[in-house]
Amino acid sequence: MQRTFPFEIFRYGMILLALFIAMIPVAWMISMAFKPIPEWSALGDDLTWWPRQPTLDNFRFIFGQSTNDLIVELEKTAGRPILASLLASVIGTLIAMVAGTSAAYGLSRFNSGKNLPLALIQLRLFPPLAVMIPVMIMWTFLNLIDTWWGLALIYGIVTLPFSFWLMKTYFDEMPREIEEAALVEGCTRFRVFTRITLPMMAGPLASSALLVFILNWSDYLIALMLTTREWQTIPVYMASLSSSMTGQLYGAKAALGLIAAVPPVILGIAIQRHLVRGLTFGALKQ
Amino acid sequence: MASIAFKNVTKRFGDTTAVDNVSFEIADNEFFCFFGPPLSGKSTLLRLLLGLEVPDSGEIYIDGKAVTTLQASQRNIAMVFQNLALFPHMTALDNIRFPLVERKMSETHIRQKVEDVSAKLHIEHILHKLPAHLSGGERQRVAIARALVRDPVAYLMDDPISALDARLREETRVELKRIQRDAGKTLVYVTHDQEEAMSIADRMAILENGKIRQIGTPIDIYDRPVSKYVAGMLGSPAINFFQLDDTQASGIRLAGEGLIQLDAREVPANAVQVGLRPENLAIRPDGGAGDVATARISSVEPLGGFTVVTVAPQQSKSQTVYRALLRGQHQMEVGTEVTLGYQPDQLISFDQNGLAIG
Repeated sequence: MQRTFPFEIFRYGMILLALFIAMIPVAWMISMAFKPIPEWSALGDDLTWWPRQPTLDNFRFIFGQSTNDLIVELEKTAGRPILASLLASVIGTLIAMVAGTSAAYGLSRFNSGKNLPLALIQLRLFPPLAVMIPVMIMWTFLNLIDTWWGLALIYGIVTLPFSFWLMKTYFDEMPREIEEAALVEGCTRFRVFTRITLPMMAGPLASSALLVFILNWSDYLIALMLTTREWQTIPVYMASLSSSMTGQLYGAKAALGLIAAVPPVILGIAIQRHLVRGLTFGALKQ
Repeated sequence: MASIAFKNVTKRFGDTTAVDNVSFEIADNEFFCFFGPPLSGKSTLLRLLLGLEVPDSGEIYIDGKAVTTLQASQRNIAMVFQNLALFPHMTALDNIRFPLVERKMSETHIRQKVEDVSAKLHIEHILHKLPAHLSGGERQRVAIARALVRDPVAYLMDDPISALDARLREETRVELKRIQRDAGKTLVYVTHDQEEAMSIADRMAILENGKIRQIGTPIDIYDRPVSKYVAGMLGSPAINFFQLDDTQASGIRLAGEGLIQLDAREVPANAVQVGLRPENLAIRPDGGAGDVATARISSVEPLGGFTVVTVAPQQSKSQTVYRALLRGQHQMEVGTEVTLGYQPDQLISFDQNGLAIG
């Protein structure tokens, strides 16, 4: 296609517009995270995009170093919720990935458990709340309420369908001849899996794990129902950030939001090169 | 060195019988070719031999020993897959080393072997590349090198050069033939290209619907096909079939077309069709005698060394055309009336079941 100059301008213009619209809330959050109280609260007279007096007060505040007498001291700082979110999301992701990948490989290669895909998707057919109430009762009996491992377990379960479906698609796309070639060349089934299948699946595994991690990381509903005090996650803790004097602590929320965005972004950058590369590119005839 | 034998092997996938009660033997050091249309069971035969599929019934022997239930990794057969199946996350070098590394050969031995095989296939300069960065022909060579690098009892190749362009294909098949002869190993080759099959195979098997229809040397099968199906599979352009109908005392006329009148003595009494190879169908520009029918030229394809002439019988209401392969170059006009001729001993007669007579 002929790329004329006006066309290029139009093309980039559209991309920038989409980017701009998508970034407005993010930009507002970042801006607010660095604003002092008068600028984000009702005390201020107007709202500006750029902080007039940039400050790290909001960050200090959520970690328990309040410098402003307008707000009472927090009864709980952000350290524990961050730890809770990390533990529950990472372990939950591991559970979902290991179980989902194994199931997907078994189904894709040996055609065992033909009804599993539909059975797994059923969990997603119900409203989340309808599923979570019985879980909450069950977790109470199992003493799993307000524990990070109880949360990790349920995260692993609810995101299992995602890891399973994603990995199954990738396994199905991988030509069976590549594994068969390894079998013929002297590998056992297990060697084939570790030497050929897993390395080839590094990209898909990484991108699926990222998606599952983000699902777990951003969960609010499950954590709200299954945690009370000890192991509140970041979203639950964030919702609780308010004071009797100023109402919602938007600055503190924004600061916490900014911190919460760090792990997914780091993971995304780490696996970026896997996200774009095709799965079997070059293995087969053209 | 290894001979290979299948005894009454059957393999079904659901309702489909991919390999139907097949028996054959391949001699040691033989270049053996399976040839047939898609889904005729060629690839399944290879997979059975490799141990990637287990037959529903029958036995498979390598060197006289039954291997029917032996795992693929224990059969010591090397394979070039149809889609090559290179390991995309390994360089060409690691792909070729793979079979030796998996067999825990010593590093010096591996290095020596890889050097030998890369020299033989002229791929030393691309060994550091990933398959993604290789051309189709280079991938081809890497896949063949991976099969040749070790010392298997037999090589199997499933249509490995079909993706190459025509010239590279001709070169590669000559090379394959040479490599096989040098290695002194049995090579079982699957192809859907009749020219390829005929040019490289010592012996070949013609397949149809999971059954072997004929086994023999290419020339033997070409000259003495057992059936219409086999006759039609080999030769380009394809063999001409003439329908016979009314039998007369003086000879047999061809159906509806009054094309060629045959002497009754040339054709067995139960023949309903005769086949004539394009190179045996003569075309003469001048009008002939009454017993040689006329036809009209419908197309001329000058190929340089050969000319393919397609003729349509004049009286025919059918769309049947016949093709003649003439040596050399011929100036012929489309639409010209010509007479057709043949040599009696070149006719192949078929009965009503399509089986060859005599």
